[in-house]
Amino acid sequence: MGNSNSVTLQPEEVERMQNETGFSASQIERLYSRFTTLDKFGNGALSREDLLRIPELAINPLGDRIVHAFFRDAEDESINFLQFLKTLAIFRPIRKGREPRYNSREQKLQFAFRMYDLDGDELISRDELLCVLHMMVGANISDEQLASIADRTIREVDQDNDDAISLAEFSEALKRTEVEGKMSIRYLN
Amino acid sequence: MVPVLAMLLNGVLLFLVPPLLILYTTLMILAPFGLSLGVRKKYVQLLIKIFEFGRVRLEQKRNRKNQMSGDGHHGEDEDEEMDDKLLLVPDPDSEKKARENGRRILRMGSVCEAEPKDLVSFQLDSCLDYIKSGIQAIVDDEVTKRFCAEELKSWNMLTRTQQNYEFISWRLTFLWFVGFFFRYFFLLPVRITIFFTSVSTFVFVVSSVALVPECAAKRWIYDKVSLMAFRILTRSYSGTIRFHQLENRPRPQGVCVANHTSPIDVCILSCDVSYALIGQRHSGFLGLLQRALTRASSHIWFERGETKDRSAVTRRLKEHVDDPNKLPILIFPEGTCINNTSVMQFKKGSFEVGGTIYPVAIRYDHRFGDAFWNSSQYSMLHYLFMMMTSWAIVCDVWYLPPTTRQPNESAIDFANRVKASIASAGGLVDLMWDGQLKRMSVKQEWREKQQQHFTRRMLAINKEIRDDEQREKDE
Repeated sequence: MGNSNSVTLQPEEVERMQNETGFSASQIERLYSRFTTLDKFGNGALSREDLLRIPELAINPLGDRIVHAFFRDAEDESINFLQFLKTLAIFRPIRKGREPRYNSREQKLQFAFRMYDLDGDELISRDELLCVLHMMVGANISDEQLASIADRTIREVDQDNDDAISLAEFSEALKRTEVEGKMSIRYLN
Repeated sequence: MVPVLAMLLNGVLLFLVPPLLILYTTLMILAPFGLSLGVRKKYVQLLIKIFEFGRVRLEQKRNRKNQMSGDGHHGEDEDEEMDDKLLLVPDPDSEKKARENGRRILRMGSVCEAEPKDLVSFQLDSCLDYIKSGIQAIVDDEVTKRFCAEELKSWNMLTRTQQNYEFISWRLTFLWFVGFFFRYFFLLPVRITIFFTSVSTFVFVVSSVALVPECAAKRWIYDKVSLMAFRILTRSYSGTIRFHQLENRPRPQGVCVANHTSPIDVCILSCDVSYALIGQRHSGFLGLLQRALTRASSHIWFERGETKDRSAVTRRLKEHVDDPNKLPILIFPEGTCINNTSVMQFKKGSFEVGGTIYPVAIRYDHRFGDAFWNSSQYSMLHYLFMMMTSWAIVCDVWYLPPTTRQPNESAIDFANRVKASIASAGGLVDLMWDGQLKRMSVKQEWREKQQQHFTRRMLAINKEIRDDEQREKDE
């Protein structure tokens, strides 16, 4: 059960969120219940610590990056429910025959791109790639090896020779990957 | 103040209604002997009927609402395959089971021991699985929901379980009012009276038994007295317990392990078998009780700092277990209260002692009252109050066959085996996570294990690629 001072969602709010994210009303209610459970101090907003309190996320090597993705547009290091929903909306499965507005392949790719793009300048530099690699493998691979992996990856993907990976180059590199399946999760009603 | 008032109210009620007084007295006489008039069973059945009625009403209302808002897209979200989810657990490489909770853990075909010096294959999309796993954990994870009360599938007429109260029907509301009055103005005073009389009697009797010199008769008396006291105490929250597989009851020179949900677990288990208790030495009233208990029979109380010294703890446990005159020890290896939907990691301390282990599974029926004690949200007093104003505490206890550690089994494997058997007997989810996560944050080494796991995945993929290339070259 959520906190005792959780505010119930009004139907107009739910409808607005449906339009802005594409979730159904019952999915929104379920996610709201989850939001209030995570919101430990009951102030209607989540902080980074609230999210990192989830053990399965805290041991994830990319845990910090994923949390950062939620806080990208946050002003004071906290996000409200709508911001929470909007980030989660990117992971809705793409339904055949319906034009995806918030969960298109491009948006999913952009989310993955931002995992690597630490400073948000729409370019993955060599240092940023090295940093993320380090997050993923820890101390199990030597720094020289990591450096050579980073160099090789950039060489293979970089097309305009600026020694960095742009979003277009990233999408091109992943064009054979089944992004829709790998970056979609099932939201229960 | 409150107990006095309660007892007055109770007294008034009983004397005004003589049949009730006779019933009450009969029940109190029968209770210590484990006999019962079957009143509670009828009560429980009546409650089940009422809940069914409430649930049907709620569903009708919900279906009508869904039809109006055109929300019937239930078919759409069911067209996915069982996705190969990357499930992160604290110790990925020792996970022997291929299936955890019905979801497949994405593992490599074979963990290869290639040298990290080999050119490791890294693709930009290697991280997608981890992103998906992370978002999945944010939406729903296995651990955080174990530390708060279980969600009920349908309302059980208690305001504390109703998340957003919507007006359903006059009849339900009327039922709720009736229930409210019944629970707070009839059940509560009766229960408080029983609680206080039983506790005072217990303290008195235990202190008397303590005066008897050590002999077989004393042990027999203590056994009977303990059973009687806990049976009456269980009436104070209308505990309805069903024991299964009585042939596996714990015996002396054994250690009984069970899953932990609330302090009431001790009362529930002690209604059938007398145990030697383990715990921290308290001061004040509880300390007094502990000292009296120790004079009556051997229990194991630790000073606050002693629990850190693992070998001393094991030694004391072993001494106790070796003595045939002592009662079986009751231990909760999880170390903390979990909400009775899952079993979390068992600490291996009690499994290193040797001797026979008697696993016991306890499963509460949450419809009648949730026994889980969320110690960060409610104080003990508040919790007891909630227990006494619930409908009843209904639970099942399974005595599982006794087991001992196999020769080539480590203590941790033994603990996991027992944990798995308790989980399957009680219909609970078997988790590898540590219950202490309630209060502490994850250990650094778990994240490091994930990093290791990722590295080996990359190496394995690389090896596969190189094997394919080799094969192509050979052809």
